[in-house]
Amino acid sequence: MIMKTDEQDSNPSFVLRAIKDVAFEDRDVPKLRDEHDVRVHIAQTGICGSDVHYWQRGRIGDFILNSPIVLGHESSGTVVEVGSAVKNVKVGQRVAVEPGVPCRFCDYCRSGQYNLCNDTIFAATPPWDGTLSKYYVVASDYTYPIPDHMNMEEGALVEPVAVAVQITKVADLRANQTVVVFGCGPIGVLCQAVAKAYGASRVIGVDVVQSRLDFASSFGADDVFLPPKPESGVDPIEHAETVAALLKEKFNLGEGPDIVLECTGAEPCIQAGVFVTKKGGTYVQAGMGKEVVAFPITTACIRALNIKGSIRYTTGCYPAAVDLVASGKIDVKRLITNRFKFEEAEQAFELVKAGKQDVFKVVIEGVQ
Amino acid sequence: MGQENLSFVLEKTGVVKFEDRPVPKLASDYDVLVNVKFTGICGSDVHYWQHGAIGSFIVKAPMVLGHESSGIITAVGDKVSTVKVGDRVAMEPGIPCRRCIRCKDGKYNLCVDMRFAATPPIDGTLAKYYTLPEDFCYKLPESVSLEEGALMEPLAVGVHITRQANIQPGQSVVVFGSGPVGLLCCAVAKAYGANKIVAVDINKERLDFAKSYAATDIVVSQRESAADSAARIIKDCDLGHGADVAIDASGAEPCIQAGIHVLRTGGTYVQAGMGKSDITFPIGAMGAKELNVKGSFRYSSGDYRTSVDLVTSGRVSVKELISNKVKFLDAETAFNDVKAAKGIKVLIEGVEDSA
Repeated sequence: MIMKTDEQDSNPSFVLRAIKDVAFEDRDVPKLRDEHDVRVHIAQTGICGSDVHYWQRGRIGDFILNSPIVLGHESSGTVVEVGSAVKNVKVGQRVAVEPGVPCRFCDYCRSGQYNLCNDTIFAATPPWDGTLSKYYVVASDYTYPIPDHMNMEEGALVEPVAVAVQITKVADLRANQTVVVFGCGPIGVLCQAVAKAYGASRVIGVDVVQSRLDFASSFGADDVFLPPKPESGVDPIEHAETVAALLKEKFNLGEGPDIVLECTGAEPCIQAGVFVTKKGGTYVQAGMGKEVVAFPITTACIRALNIKGSIRYTTGCYPAAVDLVASGKIDVKRLITNRFKFEEAEQAFELVKAGKQDVFKVVIEGVQ
Repeated sequence: MGQENLSFVLEKTGVVKFEDRPVPKLASDYDVLVNVKFTGICGSDVHYWQHGAIGSFIVKAPMVLGHESSGIITAVGDKVSTVKVGDRVAMEPGIPCRRCIRCKDGKYNLCVDMRFAATPPIDGTLAKYYTLPEDFCYKLPESVSLEEGALMEPLAVGVHITRQANIQPGQSVVVFGSGPVGLLCCAVAKAYGANKIVAVDINKERLDFAKSYAATDIVVSQRESAADSAARIIKDCDLGHGADVAIDASGAEPCIQAGIHVLRTGGTYVQAGMGKSDITFPIGAMGAKELNVKGSFRYSSGDYRTSVDLVTSGRVSVKELISNKVKFLDAETAFNDVKAAKGIKVLIEGVEDSA
């Protein structure tokens, strides 16, 4: 064990050791792995539902927590060390960090779908360490300089904006289209804002929590909708059809919106989403809930819907996200409701887990 | 002459020689060492030899020639998992950086830091050995010979062009130029379900071959205006309102012009051939007919694998294109033949092991 002196740096980290078992650990300052790497002094980290899920359940699909991992993946920071081949950033530069670096060799990587790479090193997806440490090492082309007028909190929020950009890219959103977004959590409202920024003529946000609808109205949505609860004994599928019909009628959507973005993962929303999409329209599944649901597949077929999944981000999403924030088109600061110091990380996680309505985006400051 | 890694080198414009060089070392754990067995010659190789430059790529120092190769893997890096020693492979000779936007967007042929064999200053494959990352080596099934393996490179060019053209089953395609690339475009278009494939050239012999190979119709170019040429092609080949797709694999100005005129409204034109850098272009017709006009450059994700699949399944045959095979030490003869437009594809065998 190395005796630490004042001059000797270390890497305090917030570690998920096992399900529901987090702790602070002092780790070694990470080294650059090759000449393309940079080391970032992490400034701010947002918390995502996936972080909470690994903490509470220890798995998402095939990703299973088998050994301790540092948590966190939505971060910004300052570059403090660069490899000899690094050209896009310099020491001292403030950056948004893209937390998933693919292998670059497989067919997915080579065909422009690096979000599908099986060998991606993704921060805080087991077995890879996340960004809730003092320092994080990453390939330089996965760091994106942010302009001086963007603060580090905004830099950390670039990650969920990039998720929203990818969702609209998958949806092939064009200007003047109509969009219904199920879910007014962070991803839902960011999808609404990105859709507006990209020229959608009408964006409607759907949620069951009025305060979230109120926020969505003030953020990116043109209109919001609170679906009625199903009456007792009514078949859920019938209710979903009713909700879809109400949506179309209330907002004059004619045969339905061009695009539906499903950002809840909730089965009733998935069903209503399929029913409301216009013929030939596009439905994108972004939210994650139950792994298997009752899906109106005949409707999808008869109406020739394009149904796609969206996961993480691909080329161009991060630069687009930085630009959306830097240009003021999306004011991500408004999403932050709670701030914590690094030492309070566990409280931050507890707050997100509690799922209170007035908690939206929680950020954790880096180690000073 | 030493036999460690005998190489065929372009010393300077017009001057080639044989030189023994050190066996290349594997640059990374993901690299393999290939014993090169066959190499085809491309117009670009001949052009560097004769002119010392293509565009801004200038031969400033001696450079090994060749880039259309196949070989046998003789060594693999520690992390190589997709190929092994002894595998017979087609070699994809252009290594992108994997980090730039073009690479990550699936268009690695457009990589700004591309390192392409026999494009200065990168050495080519006309040597005993060559190193490549494992994902740029494509295993050949037993039924596909190493000679055919060397044709995968021009076939991948043809595949890339055809995909740029987005040829759909039932469409009509006019291909200007019946050299190897033009011929392979005809073959791929046929495999992709094109109904009518018209080959156009000035050389009747090449056209007769095209007809026996993959074209459904052939047209000999004549001295006439481009519009007249296009009208004649449309009439003689029953192209209705015009072809769906036109591919230029000649680089010749009259062909490019005719290609625009031979298309129907909304058709697609792909520029593959390289000739004069600046030409007189029928831009009025392009705009008024709302044509899709695209370039095509080398190959990218999926093209090589598609090429191997097309040959393996028999949907495309490349054996017929091999006119001649020469020994490594006769490489200069092969270059002279290609320069004189003799044959279709000449292959240079790999360096023989010394007795």
